[in-house]
Amino acid sequence: MESIIRKRPKLLTFVCVLGFTWIVFSFPAVFSPSVKKLGDWYPALFGLIVAVSFISYIGVWHMKRWGVSLFILAFFVKEIILILINDINYIGIVFSSLFITIMVFYYKRMDVNL
Amino acid sequence: MIFFGLFKESVFFAINALVVNKLRTFLSLLGITIGIFAIITVFTVVDSLEQNLRKSVQSLGDDVVFIEKWPWAFDGDYPWWKYMNRPLPDYNELDEIIQQCNGAQSAAFLISSQITIKHQSNSIENVTIICASHQYEKVKNFEIADGRYFTEIESSSGRPVAVIGDVLAKALFPNQSPLGQTIKINGAKATVIGVFKKEGESILGGSPDTQVLVPVNYARSLIDIHNENLDPQIMVRARPGISNDELIAELTGLLRSMHKLKPLVEDNFSLNQTSLISKEFDSLFEIVGIAGWIIGGFSILVGGFGIANIMFVSVKERTNIIGIQKSLGAKNYFILLQFLFESVFLSLIGGIIGLLIVFTITQLAGDSIGMEISLSRSNVILGFTISILIGVVSGFVPAYSASQLDPVEAIRAS
Repeated sequence: MESIIRKRPKLLTFVCVLGFTWIVFSFPAVFSPSVKKLGDWYPALFGLIVAVSFISYIGVWHMKRWGVSLFILAFFVKEIILILINDINYIGIVFSSLFITIMVFYYKRMDVNL
Repeated sequence: MIFFGLFKESVFFAINALVVNKLRTFLSLLGITIGIFAIITVFTVVDSLEQNLRKSVQSLGDDVVFIEKWPWAFDGDYPWWKYMNRPLPDYNELDEIIQQCNGAQSAAFLISSQITIKHQSNSIENVTIICASHQYEKVKNFEIADGRYFTEIESSSGRPVAVIGDVLAKALFPNQSPLGQTIKINGAKATVIGVFKKEGESILGGSPDTQVLVPVNYARSLIDIHNENLDPQIMVRARPGISNDELIAELTGLLRSMHKLKPLVEDNFSLNQTSLISKEFDSLFEIVGIAGWIIGGFSILVGGFGIANIMFVSVKERTNIIGIQKSLGAKNYFILLQFLFESVFLSLIGGIIGLLIVFTITQLAGDSIGMEISLSRSNVILGFTISILIGVVSGFVPAYSASQLDPVEAIRAS
């Protein structure tokens, strides 16, 4: 299927900008002493989630459906880990759910190609 | 299978691109090397110091309560004028504690001082002498490598016997066994009956390697054991299953009755425990860790920008090659992976070099400062994680933009 350039709605631009800002702040948290204390592999796991989230925002920025799928996947993996370590962030869940709702709303307008 | 073939090919392309531009590769991975070096060095030093501290605290005994005149307090509020009028812990209180305190497994009275010890022409100044009652062996965690500890009779009768540290033994008795030899402690003779097992430097000081242990009843003839400067204290170890808090509660009641304190009068003794030291150091290490995290974080961020920049240049340089690859049927993900691998490799090599530098430094520093500093598995994993993460994050945008290029326009690009 041929890829076509699609105009990104302002609301999605806003979501992506917020997302990129979140990534900038989350990135140092990957190797923070508090995450390191949880276990040897937790920084790697959080790093993977941050990287996947970052890639998903780029996908959404370019109006790609894989961006939304990746974002939802990253969100669930992150929340499962946070539940397992008993560090649930309700504000984070609310924001992410809102982002997912907005992304899903515009999902049909997005491109199926890479 | 086709995917793995493409995967292999994209890895090959990436390695080839890095090898062709050696100087550029070296300069761009420097940022990551410095970042990983900074952050992992700080974490390694903090972890090693923490480990050494825990070892030192453990040797003091985490189930031991110290009865002293002065409390171990590290905050600003320290009413010393109240503490200075308190009575000193007394040797006579020891028997009563051993007999009446149900939560105590063992207890020992001890004092310490700095002395000079001699053997023939060999002399060592400022050696720490520990003068302890018999149960010291059961309260303090130490091992005797050579010889034995005092017998009950030697302790109670105050025989002139001593257990000396490994460093002292080697210095006073080079090339001979110290057991049965006589040393002079402040001019008085004592027979060496044991040598402590070598423990190395302790972060809290007081390593047994440089200490002499004698029975407190022997020490009476050498020094005034009631002198406040000798820091008299009673160490009480809890029975298995009894927590420190329970022991402290029982000791408080017992000492208050021994000191004949009325209900509303404040305690005139301090019950200290090693967790106070651990807690204080924990907060210090946390601050150092956060400082290292911030410094290293910024270095890595700068390194990441360097890699992103070099990847954009790389994409620009190879635009027509990308066009040819795409016109020959290369998929978008193939182009994407090719550049992404290049960036991850670049970052990973930088990280590995950084980790190797840290490893070399820890080996050299550990030998020279006499403290065990080691690059832990968790820090190695962290180093690799950060490197890969930086590679993915900084390389994805250039890689993605390369994968989205139009083949015709890309071939035309000069």
